[in-house]
Amino acid sequence: MDAVTIEFAPATGTEKEWNEAYARLADYFRSYRLHNRIRRTQLILTTLGLASEEHAKDPSKSPTQHAINQARRMMKEWLEEIYVDIPMTDTQIEGTGRLGFFLSGGPDRWPHFFLDKETLPHDMAEAMRNSVRESGPGLQVSKMTPRDIDLGLISNVAEEGLDRFGRHPVVRYSVLIVLIGVVLGYLYTLLQ
Amino acid sequence: MNPNETPAPAIPHPAQGLPPLRISRTRRATFFTLVGLGTVVGTWLMVVYLGEGGLGPLELALLATFIPLYYQLNVGFWTALAGVWLMNRPSPDTLDLWQTLSPEDHHAPIEASTAIIMPIYNEDVTRVFEGLRAIYLSLQQTGQDEQFDFFVLSDSDDPSKWIEEEVAWLELCRQLKAFGRIFYRKRRKPINRKSGNVSDFCRRWGKRYRYTVVLDADSLMSGRLLTTMVRIMEKNSGLGILQTFPRQIAAETLLGRVMQFAQALYGPPFAYGLDYWQCGEANFWGHNAIIRLAPFIENCALPPLPGKEPFGGHILSHDFVEAALMRKAGYAVRLLPSLRGSYEEGPPTLIDMLKRDRRWCQGNMQHIWLLFAKKWHPMSRLNFLHGILSYASSLLWLLFLVFSTALAALPSGRELERTQTAEQLLLGLTIALIFLPKTVILLDEQLTGRMFKPLKQRFLTSFSSVLDTIIFTLMAPVLMIFHARFVVYTLLGKGVNWVAQRRKMSGGVDWVEVFFTFGPISLLGIIWGVVGWFISTNFLLWISPILICLVLSIPMAGIVSGSHSGRRLGLFLSPEEDEPPTVLSTMEQNLTEVNDRLQLQPELEKYFGLLQVCLDPYVNGLHVSLLRKRKNIQVSRDYLDTLADRLVREGPQALKPQEIKAMIYDTDTMTHLHYRLWSAADKDLAPFWFLAIRQYNVAATNPFAHLLAQRKGETVRLSA
Repeated sequence: MDAVTIEFAPATGTEKEWNEAYARLADYFRSYRLHNRIRRTQLILTTLGLASEEHAKDPSKSPTQHAINQARRMMKEWLEEIYVDIPMTDTQIEGTGRLGFFLSGGPDRWPHFFLDKETLPHDMAEAMRNSVRESGPGLQVSKMTPRDIDLGLISNVAEEGLDRFGRHPVVRYSVLIVLIGVVLGYLYTLLQ
Repeated sequence: MNPNETPAPAIPHPAQGLPPLRISRTRRATFFTLVGLGTVVGTWLMVVYLGEGGLGPLELALLATFIPLYYQLNVGFWTALAGVWLMNRPSPDTLDLWQTLSPEDHHAPIEASTAIIMPIYNEDVTRVFEGLRAIYLSLQQTGQDEQFDFFVLSDSDDPSKWIEEEVAWLELCRQLKAFGRIFYRKRRKPINRKSGNVSDFCRRWGKRYRYTVVLDADSLMSGRLLTTMVRIMEKNSGLGILQTFPRQIAAETLLGRVMQFAQALYGPPFAYGLDYWQCGEANFWGHNAIIRLAPFIENCALPPLPGKEPFGGHILSHDFVEAALMRKAGYAVRLLPSLRGSYEEGPPTLIDMLKRDRRWCQGNMQHIWLLFAKKWHPMSRLNFLHGILSYASSLLWLLFLVFSTALAALPSGRELERTQTAEQLLLGLTIALIFLPKTVILLDEQLTGRMFKPLKQRFLTSFSSVLDTIIFTLMAPVLMIFHARFVVYTLLGKGVNWVAQRRKMSGGVDWVEVFFTFGPISLLGIIWGVVGWFISTNFLLWISPILICLVLSIPMAGIVSGSHSGRRLGLFLSPEEDEPPTVLSTMEQNLTEVNDRLQLQPELEKYFGLLQVCLDPYVNGLHVSLLRKRKNIQVSRDYLDTLADRLVREGPQALKPQEIKAMIYDTDTMTHLHYRLWSAADKDLAPFWFLAIRQYNVAATNPFAHLLAQRKGETVRLSA
């Protein structure tokens, strides 16, 4: 295991900004469920070092932004090494690769090799490649075409009538009101 | 299963499984003669009663509403009696599908490939996947699970639900080592709702399977019943659809438990009775059924109905139509009156039940179009008619009561002895038609102990039956008013939206909702009572049972929707509550484990799926890897960037669901959003994200474990 050496003296940015970047990176790497704290600390320091160099070149971005950008770059380079022979777009490599690391048990089995593109254990790379998952089996397409149902004469007449009705909702309600009126009127005459 | 397996070729002349014409004709002749006789006798008595002073328009209108109502009453009566007879006949039923299997068949290996599909829409994700796990494990116990694949077919449009479904799918596959056996499919556009979802499955993967078992999100089926259904289908090549009789389970409210109890007690005789006269022309109820895929794909695609929704357009109650189409194609549709192994959940409250009925009503009313369509089997036509009547009868009943009120207001002059005898006979006959089936079924239970053997439980069953009769009697007039309203709404063109169903009560009774829903019903009862009082005391007494139910609808709806369900007293007990089947107890244990977990803050819990897909590198990876890369996105990249920026700065509450959906459909946006959130300075983050970043790692020690139980025995490492 490499010794953890802390040599971090950024030329730009305030202490508060770099502390914020440190805290965010710590949360970020923790979200990878890397339970090995030493490896996490190594990664944080490496990333902060790279971020400080970038911040010196472009101080318009915050140290936190530079730090996460560096973590992303490291991730991409690492995954490209692993999935070198599998045709996928950049975003697919990132998504599938991250998931593959988890599904292959990476956080527990190979925490020391996480983001280490120089040392790629064969079994880890193989397990990650084998973990590419799809949500459905291969298609076997069939045609399922609706056939018209002959609704018969009554339905056809009703269809035409309803079409006319449907165009004028006022008519529908008027018919209803007239019907109720007729019934009430009839009842009234009966009660007289 | 073998992915390249070709399903059995379509059978030109299906024979096995289609009951012999002689038997089905005899049964129907007997059944409908009895139904006809009952209806004619009732109608005749009514004519005698009304006709003393001649039949005027009002009397004729009353008679017109009475006849279909009495027909329906007779159908129910004779169905129940036929069922009780079938359950108790000494020799086995010649049409019993269970009898088609020999003892050896039950142990023969299954070779037919079957897809178990579960279309879902914004459902409780934990319930869906824990239910699926229980079915999967139950199938595994049969040792015949190799030929079964599972598909979760999602139309969910709630972004958080969608992500939760993906997460739960992955976790379930991980725990069960079921990658390649359990699949998840999310449709981008939910065209034609549930039936469209099933059709989409058929088009994509239908050729890979000989059968499909359709489940609802709340369905549960035992492995034993599933394998038996496949075996029955294999043995009866003319069977197109085999529908089981699902029993209600997992009810917690009084209404839920009463319905559960009623279904357990009265359901089986009714199922047997339906099987008696429906024979090979039964109905498909949309779930807990097995379908022969080749003829289904060939014949059962649904065309839209003429006109616009709600009366026309997309067919809502697709199941009846699919059954009719299957029968039209020459395949039998049978009901399997199974006593165990097929389960579903019911609505928890009266309001939920009414919401469900509103949808079903619209679906059934659409079938008016199909009544007169050509080439249906006459029984399919009758099935449509019965479906329509099940809701239209409420309107007819209401009109019957209105006409009766009007008639009572007129000077009656019905004083002849003949008229009074007819009135008394009609009353007695109607009471018998309503209560005799229940009495006979209860008597049968007391004698056979089909539900419970111990005497104490049989006594409690009798007592519960009396109580459930009271509760259903109180509810019936209220349901009548609502169903009548639904029918009128549908006829006036007021459609329903597709909403997720609530299957469990969250919190107590919402009395405000109850008051505003049932307040007008109580008012109607009071007004009707005042009118009745003006008419005559006798009339008021006659109609008072109905009016009392209407007036009391608010407390009644509140009480039945509450959690005091009589369970502690041993009331309304169903066999599944007393001795839960393994598939149910597995699911309930797991649900309890998940429900007992510590919850995040409500705000975070509400958007947990979204929170995970944005923050968690693995969940984000899962989502992005499951998304198909779109060639052309329908919105501009700038628009998506603006939305992502707002999401980071203002939080998910500030965005509309469709805006969140637009983002999470795009792979690039979701990948960038993940880093954008993590790289934002504290001051640029919405309070929601600030809190989420600090709490997430503590709350979610395993990103995929939040929604499902962690069953150690089943947890495996994929790479091993």
